[in-house]
Amino acid sequence: MKRLYIPIVIISIFLFFFVSCYYDNEEALYPVIDTTCDTTNVTYSVTIVTMMNNNCYMCHSNKTAAANGKNIHLENYSDVVANSAQITQAIKHTGSIPPMPSNGGKIKPCYITQWDIWVRKGMVNN
Amino acid sequence: MSRLSLALLLSLITVSVFAQNDLMDLINENNPAEINYTTASFKSTRIMNGHSIEKMAPGQLDFRISHRFGTLNTGAYNLWGLDQANIHFSLEYGILKWLMVGVGRGTYEKTYDGFAKFTILRQSTGAKEMPVSLSAFSSVAINSLKWTDPERTNYFSSRLSYVAQVLVARKFTPSLSFQLTPSYVHRNMVPTELDPNDIFAMGAGGRMKLSKRISLNAEYFYVVNPKAYMSQQIYNPLSVGVDIETGGHVFQILLTNSVAMIEKGFIGETTGSWTKGDIHLGFNISRVFNLKKQKKP
Repeated sequence: MKRLYIPIVIISIFLFFFVSCYYDNEEALYPVIDTTCDTTNVTYSVTIVTMMNNNCYMCHSNKTAAANGKNIHLENYSDVVANSAQITQAIKHTGSIPPMPSNGGKIKPCYITQWDIWVRKGMVNN
Repeated sequence: MSRLSLALLLSLITVSVFAQNDLMDLINENNPAEINYTTASFKSTRIMNGHSIEKMAPGQLDFRISHRFGTLNTGAYNLWGLDQANIHFSLEYGILKWLMVGVGRGTYEKTYDGFAKFTILRQSTGAKEMPVSLSAFSSVAINSLKWTDPERTNYFSSRLSYVAQVLVARKFTPSLSFQLTPSYVHRNMVPTELDPNDIFAMGAGGRMKLSKRISLNAEYFYVVNPKAYMSQQIYNPLSVGVDIETGGHVFQILLTNSVAMIEKGFIGETTGSWTKGDIHLGFNISRVFNLKKQKKP
């Protein structure tokens, strides 16, 4: 019995770590009830440009990027695609890139969802 | 169910090995022969990002600071990533000859993590032959970011992730060691319905000593889950680097495509790709303190 002491301790500590195991995902746990958020018709020229216009162009347009936006341009489609990974991290406030918008707020969840959908669908210039 | 079978498999391995010891003891009763346990398969408790079978002896405290800069492809203006920093620091302590624990905090999702690493088998020659060293690793990570939407009902369980690994290593020659690390990562909350809560990966890592104090290390984790429909494009983490050992310090300088320094982060959530130049320069510094007088091994 003494020889089994070590494996029993190991296995119980292992299982202890796994007691509050859940299989959640945000889409199922928090279904989007916002009926005004259009998640089916997401295009670059309408959806993404509107979102950027409302939240990003004050610092990251072609005119203001050098002074206020650390020279990160987001006004052109090619710039958005080039920076898309950083944009995702910044608007979601994950901690590895300075959170955006830099005034301390967060863009509305509808915009983040629409951005995700546009990226997932291949970042088409539509 | 995979957790239960893993636990049963582990118990079977350990029980059969101990039965073998009883028989060997009978034979060697009159002339107890020496067992030569292999030491220093790796210079540090990490190969690059992931854990190695090395452990802290009882009473040894390891203070680790890890740093990953930004990516090389951000260009000269950002000094190829040096302007951006991700850190992880941890305190790791050896409690028993076969048990080591650690706690840490990192920038990636502002995560607090804790782990326990058990030494189950040690590679040895002589009276008892054991071809590999085997350890088990288990950890919990708590994401401490503010809730993205404080208005909805947020659960604490959504912050948790768990990792279990089996580390199997062999020191082939005094300069060459190799380790296989089958891993299982469980995330309680994932962004979309197509993101897997369970991630399976097979890790492989090794080191080659270039001199008494310097070794060349490399590590790769192959994520088995199909990557096609995940909410973000993930890649397999590949890290290469150098270990430099000086007295009580081990410096590990490396290049990697993952920015996180905990298993939960780099195994299933590496969004950088080597071919696109998303390579982070990074380093791990390990300083070992002996809190208790070490007995001669």
